[in-house]
Amino acid sequence: MSFDANPPAVHAPASEAPAAFLGIGGINPAPGPNRTRTWSRNLECAWLAGQAGPRAYPGVIEPPRPRGDYIEQYTMVCRERALRLGLRDPIDEAILSTMQGTTVDLVERAANVDPALAARTWLVEVFVPSAAVAYKVSFAAKNALVGRGLSVSDRAPTLSATDVDVLVGLPATEAYPSACARYALDDGDVLLAMMLLDPRETSLHAGLCVDGGWMWLP
Amino acid sequence: MTLLLAALWLGPAARAADVEEAQRVQLEKARAEVADQVHLAAFDLVDELVYGWTLDPVFEAPTAVVLAEVTVPVGLGTALRAQLENHLGAVLLANPSTNVQLVHCPQCTAVVVHSGPEATVISRGFDNPSVLADLGADTGKHALFVDVEAEGSFLVLRARLTRLTPDLPIVWSHTIASAAGAAPLLREPDRLMSASEARDVYLDALHDRGLIFVPVRLAIRTYAAPGDGGVPPPPFLWLQTGVELSPTDARAWTSSLIVGYSFIPQAYQGIMAQARVNRLITGRSRALTRPDLYLFAGAAAMSVWGAATASFIGDEPDADDIITAITGEGPRTSFGAIQVGLDLRVGQRIGASVFLETLPDLARNINFGTYVRPFGVGFQSFGTEVTFWL
Repeated sequence: MSFDANPPAVHAPASEAPAAFLGIGGINPAPGPNRTRTWSRNLECAWLAGQAGPRAYPGVIEPPRPRGDYIEQYTMVCRERALRLGLRDPIDEAILSTMQGTTVDLVERAANVDPALAARTWLVEVFVPSAAVAYKVSFAAKNALVGRGLSVSDRAPTLSATDVDVLVGLPATEAYPSACARYALDDGDVLLAMMLLDPRETSLHAGLCVDGGWMWLP
Repeated sequence: MTLLLAALWLGPAARAADVEEAQRVQLEKARAEVADQVHLAAFDLVDELVYGWTLDPVFEAPTAVVLAEVTVPVGLGTALRAQLENHLGAVLLANPSTNVQLVHCPQCTAVVVHSGPEATVISRGFDNPSVLADLGADTGKHALFVDVEAEGSFLVLRARLTRLTPDLPIVWSHTIASAAGAAPLLREPDRLMSASEARDVYLDALHDRGLIFVPVRLAIRTYAAPGDGGVPPPPFLWLQTGVELSPTDARAWTSSLIVGYSFIPQAYQGIMAQARVNRLITGRSRALTRPDLYLFAGAAAMSVWGAATASFIGDEPDADDIITAITGEGPRTSFGAIQVGLDLRVGQRIGASVFLETLPDLARNINFGTYVRPFGVGFQSFGTEVTFWL
C-alpha cells in the first residue's frame, strides 16, 4: 500500500481489481460498439508480461505454463482514472497525472549535479499557471528531496517588488537566471526551481540556483 | 423595429448563457460524485498515515503539532477538505500513541504582512520567520501539512512535518499511494491495523458462518385457476427447513436440501422435500453491504391430504383415490414439481423469493390452469417465500 518518497514507480496493491483486461477472454479497452470513447479515455493501461501479470492479479491472469508457451503472452491491465478527464484544466491534469514520476526524476537529476550540494539546505519553488498545482508539485518535490536524505526547508525565497516588475518582462530563459541573482537566499541554500517555459507545454523543466549562479538541469 | 432586433439578438445570447450554466451545474455535479467516491479512499490513506505513526512515532514524547494545511485533489471542493481534516483529527485523537497532539495556533494560520528592507511579504504565520520567532512554548512547534492528489489512476497522500523555527526545516515526510479502484479498508479510528490485518478481518467476516447454513422458510404456494370451471386447490402454507451448502466463501453457487410440513386444521396437511441450486447474478461473490440476487432452479416432491386437497384428484381418479374414498380417509395425492425463481438475500440473514412451478403430474388436471406458458411449458403454481438463515 505504501511506497517511499523515492520509489521506482507507483504500483498497485495486488487486491485491486482492474477495470479492463486485454488478454484471452478479456475486455478490450479500445472504443467499440459497446464501449464509448469517454470510457476508453478514462482508462490508464499498461502491458504486463511473463509472471508480472499473475503476480499482480492471481487467479485472474493465468500464469505461463511451466515449460513455457509457444508465444510470450502479454496482458494489458487498465485502471480507471481517479478523476475523470474534463473535470479540471487539461494542463493541470497533464502535470498532476505524472507528478510523482516527474518530480522524483527532476530531484534525482538535481541531486546528481554536484555531490557537494548534499550538505546544503534545499528550497523548492515551482512556477506553473495554477497556484494550487504549483503547491502540489512543490510538496511532491520536497518529499522526494527528504526521501533522498537531503536537508530541506519550507522557507520561500523572496524577491522585491521592483525585481518582480523587471523579471516578468524578460523571456523565461533569461528571467530565471536573473531571478537567481536577485533572490534573498541564506548562505548554503540551494534553490531547486521547477517551471513551464512555454504556456503550451506540459513537461516541467528545472534549474538550480546555487550561490547566485543559475544552472539548467540536463 | 429596434425592439425586434434586440429580441433577436438577446434570444440566442440568453440561450447560450443557459447552456453555460447547465454545463457548469453538470460539472459541479460530476465533481461532487467523484469527491463522494474518493473520500473513503482518502480516509484510508489518512488511516495508513496515522497507523504508520503508531508503529513508528516521529516524536519520542507527546508533541504539540499545528495542522497547518490539508489540501485535496485539484478540482474537488472544500467539503472534502473539511471531511479529511475532521477525519485526521478524529484518528489522531483516538490514537495517542502517535505522540502527535493537534493544537490550535491562531498566529500560525493567520495571514500576516511583514515589511522589511528587502521585501514586503504577505504570508501565513507559519511561513513568516518573524511570527515563528515569537511563538511561545505552549503553541505548536511543528506544523503538519497533508496533501491528497489524484494522479492518473492513483490517489496519493503526501505528508510532511516542519519545525516552526525561522529556518523551517522539514523533519519528516512520507508519501503513500493507493489505486483508485482498490476497495477501502474502512478501519475503525480507535482500532487501526495494517492493510493485511484489515484484509484478514474482512476474510473473517466472510468466513464467520462457514459453508453450511440452516434456512428456516415460510412459503405460500398458490395454484392457477382453470378457465373452464374447475376448482383450484386453496393456497398452501409451508414451513420448511434443511441445509444449504456452498462450495466457496464467495457463495456464487449454493445448493439446498429442504423438507417441509403444511397443516391447516380441518382442511389439509402435507409433507414435501425439495432440492435447489442457486446462482448469484449480482456479482462474482456475495456482498457484505448490499443485497444479493440469486437465480434458482429446483425440484420438489409433495404429498398432501385432507378435505381441501380434493382438487388434486381431478376427473380421473386412480385406485388409491377410490380406496381412500371407500375407507373414508379423505383425498390424498403425491406429485412432483420443477421450479425456477429469484431469491433476494440480505447479508445471508434474511431473504425473500418468488418462484414458478410446473407440475407435470397435474398438467391435464381440470382443476389447474396455468399462470404463464413460456416455450410451451405451463407453470401451474406461483409461490413466495421468506427465509431466515440461522
